[in-house]
Amino acid sequence: MTTVALSPARRAWLVVADQELRDLWLGGRGLALTFAYSLLLSIITYLTATNSVLNFLEQREAVNLTLQIGVAFGALLVLLTTADALSGERERGSLESLLLAPVHRADLVAGKGMAALSIWLVAFVVSIPYLWFLARGVGIVGVALAGGLVVGTLLSLFLAGLGLLISSLATSNRVSLSLSLFVLLAFFAPTQLPSSAQQGWAGDLFIRIDPFSAGLHYLGKILVDGHNAGQEIAWLLSPLIAAGSAVLAALGASRFLTLRGGGPS
Amino acid sequence: MTEAALEARGLTKAFGAVRAVEALDLAVPAGIVLGFLGPNGAGKTTAIRMLTTVLPPDSGTFTVAGHPHTRPLEIRQRVGVLPESAGYPERQTGEEFLRYHARLFGRSRASARALAGALLAETGLADRARSQIGAYSRGMRQRLGIARALVNEPSLVFLDEPTLGLDPSGQRQMLALIRQISEARGATVVLSTHLLAEVEEVCARVVILNRGRIVADGTVAEIVRRAAAPRYGRVRVPPEAAENALTALRARDIEAATNTRPGELDLSLRADDAEGEVRAALRALLDSDVAVLGLELEGGRLSDAFLTMTEQS
Repeated sequence: MTTVALSPARRAWLVVADQELRDLWLGGRGLALTFAYSLLLSIITYLTATNSVLNFLEQREAVNLTLQIGVAFGALLVLLTTADALSGERERGSLESLLLAPVHRADLVAGKGMAALSIWLVAFVVSIPYLWFLARGVGIVGVALAGGLVVGTLLSLFLAGLGLLISSLATSNRVSLSLSLFVLLAFFAPTQLPSSAQQGWAGDLFIRIDPFSAGLHYLGKILVDGHNAGQEIAWLLSPLIAAGSAVLAALGASRFLTLRGGGPS
Repeated sequence: MTEAALEARGLTKAFGAVRAVEALDLAVPAGIVLGFLGPNGAGKTTAIRMLTTVLPPDSGTFTVAGHPHTRPLEIRQRVGVLPESAGYPERQTGEEFLRYHARLFGRSRASARALAGALLAETGLADRARSQIGAYSRGMRQRLGIARALVNEPSLVFLDEPTLGLDPSGQRQMLALIRQISEARGATVVLSTHLLAEVEEVCARVVILNRGRIVADGTVAEIVRRAAAPRYGRVRVPPEAAENALTALRARDIEAATNTRPGELDLSLRADDAEGEVRAALRALLDSDVAVLGLELEGGRLSDAFLTMTEQS
């Protein structure tokens, strides 16, 4: 017998990410999601631009609104991709082949997470011309892009971790997708609270704790109120902690990645 | 003495109240094809999943080529597996799928590409290398699964129902491929299947599992003998001599009866000495001047032993 001295892939997560990126973008799914994203952004930009022309919406507010929707929807695409990442393999019966590879399960999770994050980066690139169009003339193009990139990346990391965590443990793809969307709505709901509910120390604390509210609030502060990005950085604490915790939880839960789902067996 | 390819002691796995595998003890010598048999739900797939480190055992230990189960990455480097009802990414091509898995086993891009091509050729899929797996037939998917099981040049290959859903021609091709893995590659093969006639043909040793426990372990001949499965004989004599033949056989305490075909007699043989009884029957007929036109022996095959052992336990 000819034996080859093989050792497991040293950076297995890179091999996984490489293949996942091919599947996502060459398989067409990523392009379809990006198309839907750009369609939504076009409609929002049209509405905010016309409102701005009619003086119903101040230009800075138009930029902020479009950016917030872009960030939220971009992060949602990451969640949709990661929620399917492992439970989808489980449902298609292809997870066992991956579990038989001599790589740590955390590498599988990390590789899939990295590939899913690419959808946010592409969405961000797609949003640049829209933001430039809306923000030209008020001098906030750079701030909007930088702020959007930071907040969007943190929220995408948070949702990527969350989606992978749920997908690792879910017993079916349907459960994974529904649970992920439910959790997303739970985190997103506070952003829609009336301003009266956001007053006082309790309201302030609530907004600061919820990563979505805090991140989007930060964008409002630097774009609409014109505050310095560094001065308001405390608002990013919650998205940062949420992103780190979700990613660590997803990597930690990879130990319980099983064929049936449902946690340790 | 050659090192065992696989050794398991007291391997147990339960799912809630259901004990899927109970105290499995197994030692598989290197280089053989082992038939791993059992009725549906016997625990074969669970046992294979434990032995390939996909499922952790509740208790017990095992080693693969001397590597303990506590080092799953080392074991996965040495085993190749065709899982039962394996699924495949429909949009990937066969070549892309194999390349990906070869890279997970540490191959460089170039080496993975070359290996994928070689394995596709070996499994007869070279002409469909660039077709999407979604367009593959059931037989092609099974062969792709076997190619995937060989990406790491394994010393131990587990094939869980490789002939499931294949037509007779596909089954023959698959068995030829299994022989090739064993003979040309020198790998030990653990073959789980329901095709018992083929197991008799290719397996040097057989283990029968029932309700999570091993109920038989040995060569086909040993298992058949141990099972004491019932055997039957059919003797053909001239129709006018059938009555004489019946009398002669019964006179020697051989259980015989006529059947619907003229001149045919059915013999019920003692499982522990069927051949001796057949000899006695022939002698009785010849002594009575009854011409024997034909003789067939039935039973005494692995399938009979399988049914006896799995129904008894």
